Amino acid sequence: MAPTDYTYPSVYFAYLFFFLSFALAVYFCFRSRKDGYWGEKGEDAKYHLFEEDDDTHRRTP
Amino acid sequence: MQLQFSRAEVAKAPEGALIHDDATAKWFLVSSVAYFFIVGIIAVTIAAKFVWPDLMGTMSWLTYGRLRPLHVNGMLFGWLLAADMGLAYYVIPRLCGVKLWSEKLGLATAALWNVIILGAVVTLLAGQNQGWEYAELPWYLDVLVVIAWIMFGVNVLMTVASRKHQAMYVTIWYTMGCILWTAFVYLTGNFATLFTTGTNQANLNWMYVHNAVGLIFTPIGLAIAYYFIPRASNTPLHSHKLSMVGFWSLAFVYVWTGAHHMLHGPISQWLQTIAIAFSLMLLIPVWAVVYNLFATMKGQWHQLRESVPLKFLMSGVVFYLLTCFQGPMHSLRTVNAIVSKTDWIPGHAHMAVLGCFSFFAIAGTYVAVPKIWGKALHSQSLANWSYWMLMIGGLGFFTTLWLGGFWQGWQWNNVSIPFIDTVIALKPIWIVRFVSGIMMFAGIVFFAYNIMATALGDHEEAAV
Repeated sequence: MAPTDYTYPSVYFAYLFFFLSFALAVYFCFRSRKDGYWGEKGEDAKYHLFEEDDDTHRRTP
Repeated sequence: MQLQFSRAEVAKAPEGALIHDDATAKWFLVSSVAYFFIVGIIAVTIAAKFVWPDLMGTMSWLTYGRLRPLHVNGMLFGWLLAADMGLAYYVIPRLCGVKLWSEKLGLATAALWNVIILGAVVTLLAGQNQGWEYAELPWYLDVLVVIAWIMFGVNVLMTVASRKHQAMYVTIWYTMGCILWTAFVYLTGNFATLFTTGTNQANLNWMYVHNAVGLIFTPIGLAIAYYFIPRASNTPLHSHKLSMVGFWSLAFVYVWTGAHHMLHGPISQWLQTIAIAFSLMLLIPVWAVVYNLFATMKGQWHQLRESVPLKFLMSGVVFYLLTCFQGPMHSLRTVNAIVSKTDWIPGHAHMAVLGCFSFFAIAGTYVAVPKIWGKALHSQSLANWSYWMLMIGGLGFFTTLWLGGFWQGWQWNNVSIPFIDTVIALKPIWIVRFVSGIMMFAGIVFFAYNIMATALGDHEEAAV
């Protein structure tokens, strides 16, 4: 009896992960627009990392 | 605004400040630095074997075939990924303005990670090897890696879920992307390949190998660079929107590039062409990242004179640009016909993993360790030496292997040259490789000693 070949199930398993990653990426990409990352307040997040200390004098880029 | 301090700095923290325990970050960083040193010894030994092939050849567990996978896995998972995870445990709670979700879970993850790395040392030296690039570890250690990664992912994602700010800085995006992509890449590369055969197996393996760099080390490395470059230069990021362009273009482009490792091989031409096209598209996220980080430093380049972390970080950005220009270029069929399988490839891979991502991790460690332990860095001078030894040694290593690789490829394309002659011809290249390796190892020793002396030594408190 020939050994069972799992090649195609394994490749489809990999395709499933491809699809899940792609679907999640599409969803969160559109979600990021809804959450304001591309709008006028989209630059606010970059100042968060300076909030942990008060003696930081932020330089303008 | 709520001020944030590490547990070691609690004496100078005002009332109401957020105190981070950082116990998990400590364990990950200390163990990763120790592995960097230990695996560095193996790296130099391997480089010596190129020059003196009989060196330690009578002891099976010290042969090239066993040391090489230990070097690769040790550097990738023992040093780099562990250091990146340690820095993520340091950075993410601070960016979220909350404590790490569970220090106990983090410490358990650190303990499990050390079990995995020590297990890898024993099994790989004993010759237990699955035979696939980057996936050499036996399946039971792969299962432990998956468990450890779930523990890491749950801790980070739960911390992010409890964040103070709704908008997430790009470092958080890349870290979360790394957690999700690693799950996908690691499972495919280490488990799906177990059940496939022939060309499909090779294709899955190279998809894993390339995405291990592109979807594991790239996002977590860029997460660190995006945090520590603005922090170390005290300058806000040039553009958060541009960083989002880089993140999403990486997310949509990278996963298709793996098949460029099999150009001219027995896979479909359409799959090869897709891999080439997507490899060229990688220039979009790369330029978005590099332009953003360079523009952040506009008017601030003078800071590199005094700041060792910034030296490492900005050199890492330059190496990122170079390595990501090389990658698409040698994905072209004509260039690939010369450089594929030659010494060019380890030259390219070392520039990515050492020159770029390890430089980011070293810089992050130099910034984070004094903060976590509440002490000044043991020696600024030694830190400077570590940079120059790694930089000069690294440049010697990369450029020598690129030149040697081209030379090797041209010889291989001439069927009248016997293969053994192409091996003998490369001996001068491998002598320079060994000398460069010694210099890089000296840089690792200076870095590791400096970090350990800072953590364990008795130094004055760091200036706030």
